[in-house]
Amino acid sequence: MNRKKDKGFESPRPFKLTHQAVCINNINFQRKSVIGYVELTIFPTVVNLNRIKLNSKQCRIYRVRVNELEAPFIYNDPTLEVCHHESKQRNLNYFSSAYTAAVSAVDPDAGHGELVIKVPSELWKQGDDLKVLKVYIEFSLDQPKGGLHFVVPDVEGSMADRGAHVFSFGYQNSTRFWFPCVDSYSELCTWKLEFTVDASMVAVSCGDLVETIYTHDMRKKTFHYVLPIPTAAPNISLAVGPFEILVDPYMHEVTHFCLPQLLPLLKHSMSYLHEIFEFYEEILTCRYPYACFKTVFVDEAYVQVSTYASMSIFTTNLLHSAMIIDQTPQTRRCLAQALAQQFFGCFISRMSWADEWVLKGISGYIYGLYLKKTFGVNEYRHWIKEELDKIVDYELKMGGVLLHPTFSGGKEKDNPTPHLHFSIKHPHTLSWEYYKMFQCKAHLVMRLIENRISMEFMLQVFNKLLSLASTASSQKYQSQMWSQMLLSTHAFLKSISNVSGKDIGPLIKQWVDQSAVVKFFGSFAFNRKRNVLELEIRQDYTSSGTQKYVGPIKVTVQELDGSFNHTLQIEENSLKHDIPCHSKSRRNKKKKIPLMNGEEVDMDLSAMDADSPLLWIRIDPDMSILRKVEFEQADFMWQYQLRYERDVVAQEEAISALEKFPTPASRLALTDILEQEQCFYKVRMQACFCLAKIANAMVSTWQGPPAMKSLFTRMFCCKSCPNIVKTNNFINFQSYFLQKTMPVAMALLRDVQNLCPKDVLNFILDLIKYNDNRKNKFSDNYYRADLIEALTNSLTPAISINNEVRTVDNLNADVRLILEEITRFLNMEKLLPSFRNTITVSCLRAIRQLQKNGHIPSDASLFKSYAEYGHFVDVRIAAVEALVDYTRVERNSTELQWLLSMVRNDPCHYVRHEILGMLCKNPPFTKTTDSALCNEALVDQLWKLMNSGTSHDWRLRCDAVNLYYTLFGLTRPSCLPLPELGLVLNLKEKKAVLNPTIKPELGVGTVMDTPASIGIHGVGMSYTAVSGKEPPSVEQSMPSMPTTPVPSFAKETGSMSSKHGSEHGHHHHHHHHEHKKKKKKHKHKHKHKHKHESRDKEKDRERDNSHTYSNSPASGRSLRSPSLSD
Amino acid sequence: FSKNGVKEGGYAVISEDDKAATSPAENYNLARRRTLQVVVSALLTECGFESAEKVAVETLTEMMQSFISEIGRCAKAYCEHTARSVPTLSDTVVTLIEMGFNADTLPVYAKRSQRMVITAPPVTNPPVTPRALSAGQKRTHPAYIPSHFPEFPDPHTYIKTPTFREPVSDYQVVREKAATQRRDVERALTRFMAKTGETQSLFKDDITAFPLIAARPTSIPYLSALLPSELELQTLEETDSSEQDDQTDSENTGGNNITDDPGNDKENSMLPPSGVVPSQKVTEDNVIDNPYLRPVKKPKVRRKK
Repeated sequence: MNRKKDKGFESPRPFKLTHQAVCINNINFQRKSVIGYVELTIFPTVVNLNRIKLNSKQCRIYRVRVNELEAPFIYNDPTLEVCHHESKQRNLNYFSSAYTAAVSAVDPDAGHGELVIKVPSELWKQGDDLKVLKVYIEFSLDQPKGGLHFVVPDVEGSMADRGAHVFSFGYQNSTRFWFPCVDSYSELCTWKLEFTVDASMVAVSCGDLVETIYTHDMRKKTFHYVLPIPTAAPNISLAVGPFEILVDPYMHEVTHFCLPQLLPLLKHSMSYLHEIFEFYEEILTCRYPYACFKTVFVDEAYVQVSTYASMSIFTTNLLHSAMIIDQTPQTRRCLAQALAQQFFGCFISRMSWADEWVLKGISGYIYGLYLKKTFGVNEYRHWIKEELDKIVDYELKMGGVLLHPTFSGGKEKDNPTPHLHFSIKHPHTLSWEYYKMFQCKAHLVMRLIENRISMEFMLQVFNKLLSLASTASSQKYQSQMWSQMLLSTHAFLKSISNVSGKDIGPLIKQWVDQSAVVKFFGSFAFNRKRNVLELEIRQDYTSSGTQKYVGPIKVTVQELDGSFNHTLQIEENSLKHDIPCHSKSRRNKKKKIPLMNGEEVDMDLSAMDADSPLLWIRIDPDMSILRKVEFEQADFMWQYQLRYERDVVAQEEAISALEKFPTPASRLALTDILEQEQCFYKVRMQACFCLAKIANAMVSTWQGPPAMKSLFTRMFCCKSCPNIVKTNNFINFQSYFLQKTMPVAMALLRDVQNLCPKDVLNFILDLIKYNDNRKNKFSDNYYRADLIEALTNSLTPAISINNEVRTVDNLNADVRLILEEITRFLNMEKLLPSFRNTITVSCLRAIRQLQKNGHIPSDASLFKSYAEYGHFVDVRIAAVEALVDYTRVERNSTELQWLLSMVRNDPCHYVRHEILGMLCKNPPFTKTTDSALCNEALVDQLWKLMNSGTSHDWRLRCDAVNLYYTLFGLTRPSCLPLPELGLVLNLKEKKAVLNPTIKPELGVGTVMDTPASIGIHGVGMSYTAVSGKEPPSVEQSMPSMPTTPVPSFAKETGSMSSKHGSEHGHHHHHHHHEHKKKKKKHKHKHKHKHKHESRDKEKDRERDNSHTYSNSPASGRSLRSPSLSD
Repeated sequence: FSKNGVKEGGYAVISEDDKAATSPAENYNLARRRTLQVVVSALLTECGFESAEKVAVETLTEMMQSFISEIGRCAKAYCEHTARSVPTLSDTVVTLIEMGFNADTLPVYAKRSQRMVITAPPVTNPPVTPRALSAGQKRTHPAYIPSHFPEFPDPHTYIKTPTFREPVSDYQVVREKAATQRRDVERALTRFMAKTGETQSLFKDDITAFPLIAARPTSIPYLSALLPSELELQTLEETDSSEQDDQTDSENTGGNNITDDPGNDKENSMLPPSGVVPSQKVTEDNVIDNPYLRPVKKPKVRRKK
């Protein structure tokens, strides 16, 4: 993982996988089960390969054969239950390290796996090394909780009529959930995929569909796919359903699939995909690497976009008709993202987790180039600013995001991110939010590199990487060449230096090897005597998430005589920079003022300081540093910047700054921008909200009608009757977005009593009343949803007299009008649903706001009914959001329980994830506040959720960890009984272990009686011992294996773990049982002695050795299926 | 004979044979017919018949009438052919000749001795078509139109009388009205739905105050959320005319059916594999070679599973 070391790729495995066949011959939608087999072709790279470790989760494995010989195997998944004993510990630090250890123990990148197959001695005894081995595994999946998602609507008819479908999903490498494999991005092989499905269904998978053959009864057909390009298992996917098929009219090798009845939407939504293809192929000067591409649109998708080798799975909610405006750019963006990742992510895979940033960065960067080309430079720069603000805000709040972590040793001290409550060592331990920010930062850093070496070189590097990979991929029989298709940080940087000849070392060191962003404070003074601008730039590099920046910084100064760029050096101790000015102050009043882009404009210079030639100053205008700049300049300078600077980023910065200057001049500048049609529409939209804020700040001196009202009237209302809005015509998108936004912003206006002015409310109600979409080519659903949002924004807290119960009679008259509209909208939606039910979503938010402001009784039942499974997902999310808010405001434990039960049981993974995400964002209580909700039962519940309840979904488990962290913090939750008895905190190692003194009472006597208490003893301890030492110990033990001939593998494991137990922490859990049903019988069959690492407490050793039981089969962690030879 | 009269009468009798005559026009026609019958009977008597069956007389009458009608029609045609409007004797003679009748024998025949003289039919006024409701003044021909050209139709067929009330042209009022109307309809409809179905309420004290139609989960929620409603589609059709899309849509689904429908595929499987069928398909799909459009192969007999 260390960048300096890796010259080439070194496989962590004692074998090389060259080919894998996956055959799923039965998919039962009724029972939600899958039966199939895999066959892996591997070449041992060591003499006497005796054990093969593969990844497999939740699969029931019936039989393993190696070269036609039955092979014994062990199946152990330590991540099923992270902490194995019923301790009262409940400490997140402890959990996180145990979880990291568990993930490490089966990490394919370290050569580990859940499934350990013993190669039959006949095969290794021959001593014939480098002979090909074929590992054949029969498996089944019954009601999988992860990996594959079945959507089976509960209606009449056959599965195809019902639109039942199944598709693979997962966060990062999660293919092991649905078939045994080497679940690593760095183990490439060619594939043969075979799926037998109902004749009315289509199976879409990776690679080329070679043929489709009926089964003999003609009821089913088998889809045969071949993927000749070496591909990593995590990039394999499957989607089966009664899909409608659309061959792309522009590119016949591209096929689109959607659920029944949606074909017209699919046709429209996919009509521009070919442009994205053309764009990427052109800039990369490289053909799309796969022979075909498939897009599949499924319901209840895990994420909006997930991309796999030669196919992408999207949520069906991206499909839209030609009438929908707002969804169109979003869908295009999703397609562009998916396609970018086809090149970098699927075709070129990462060498290790530490190199993830390169692939995410490149795909994000070329996606940005697509945005620039399609949506324009303004949109692109706006997006870059947005992304930059996002990452800066996140890092300043949560601490740094590290792109390229290096883990030298396993020691805690070397943890590169001590500020986080999770480990960034594995993708599976990462918080989702962090990973999103990670991707965001990655593409921003790529842009920084582009700034440094130019876009041409950048594209040349990509082209070089792609050509290398495609050369390697065509080497059919030289699998060692395939590692060229893996990209590492080292290889990427080397390629950059080869192509550009530039040293980007400092840049990489600053942004890739180091976390955190830069925070600048700028201010200036103008020295008239010297005609010099004295600029002071200070930095905050002590707060969390910040780092020190040393290097060049660009400053742009707009003077009367023109715009001038200056490059300053930020050095260790220099804060002040003198910049000579070019122009004397106001020499020639009439002269036009040249701008940066060469344009010359007339300006009214009366506002400016007569002594200074400075119009405005910008620090780092190109966003070539990941920074936050807080710059001080006079209000008139911001106003000039807003009016005359042509860069949208500068305009947006000026708008944010003007919020602090509520003056008539600011008002005028904002109004002018609002009216200016040449101005970028998103700037104008932002100006609306700023104007509302300014108007509120100036409420006592405000002259004329409410802000924006006359403007809106002029732009969108009838000439003859200014109180009536024109019939909708959304042909001009810019004005459409403005028309949508202005009412929303206007509703934020408040009068002296801090109420929304009556004028404004009536105005919005009139907009709703006179809204007429009959002559419009586009749907007005988003517009109407925004009008409801405007009504919501107009709400202010009810004046409550001695906390009376809210009834219909004492309803405020205005609120009654609002409620009337919302009721009608919500009811109409039942009869004429809007696209994505946007109106229901807005109504639910409005109702929650009415409740929260005390206008109507606070009640959760409405939201609960909308949150139920069976509503459109956006509606459910909106309802859950209201429920989460309700839970927080009302401190209601019933609703919290209801939400948590949904997290455990809801069929839709995305909703589960969102619930936890929303609970984290809007927590019912936090670690610093007291709440009646915070009690032992809740701690236990959440602990159970993250410990074992979410083992099928990495993302959900990390969400649960996040929630636990938000509610209770890193240490022991405060609501638990005092810890004296319970645990010992080892401050040095930041770990907690069971207090040895409580062991006896929990121990020997009672443990075996109840399954629940099984596994209390010792196991946790062995886990704490695992971390870090794992990889070397495996290598040590390997050579010793063949020298111990043992009749049965079962016995061998026993002896092995007792022998090497001290090194193999996780081998404590390798126990095999004939079958789950028989587990009670065999409970005591295999006894193991527990040994501990020397660094574990000496006291423990004594006690642990005294009870020689291992963790029990009842925990379900270890399962050995009966071999067929029995 | 009055040629005009015969002609008109002939047509009328053919069509309205046995119906009870009540209107003056029908009376007039019946009178003519009766005269014709008398003529036929006289001729029969002249030829020596003492009695005749009614059917025979009827048939002969019919023939006679046809003959006279034909003469009239033809004579009219000849006259119009020579750009006149009233037939002359020569037109009638030419007609008779054309019909294979020896016109020269006619004067002799007319003056034969044993002929019976039949009293002229009672003078009945040809029926006057009742004047339709007269509206306005009938227009006369302008000077440049010859008087023999047909007259203008009755004014009611072309004149228009504005009868509508002064419309509300005030835009504001129209919008106001449309908005109120729509809102009333929507409110009434939703209230009705709420009253007839399950509801949810925001208030505990008065559950009828703001009735919300109860949220009901559906099995396939994405369909209604994503597909445009019929109303929207209607609007779209009115504003947009991209009907080509629909056509290609159905073509495409057709293509799918071919690959997906087992029924269709059975048909294919009867045929020799990979022989005729694919080539047909190629022409159908416009040479799109996509593996998902290819026909499903029949299992090989030897192959297991």
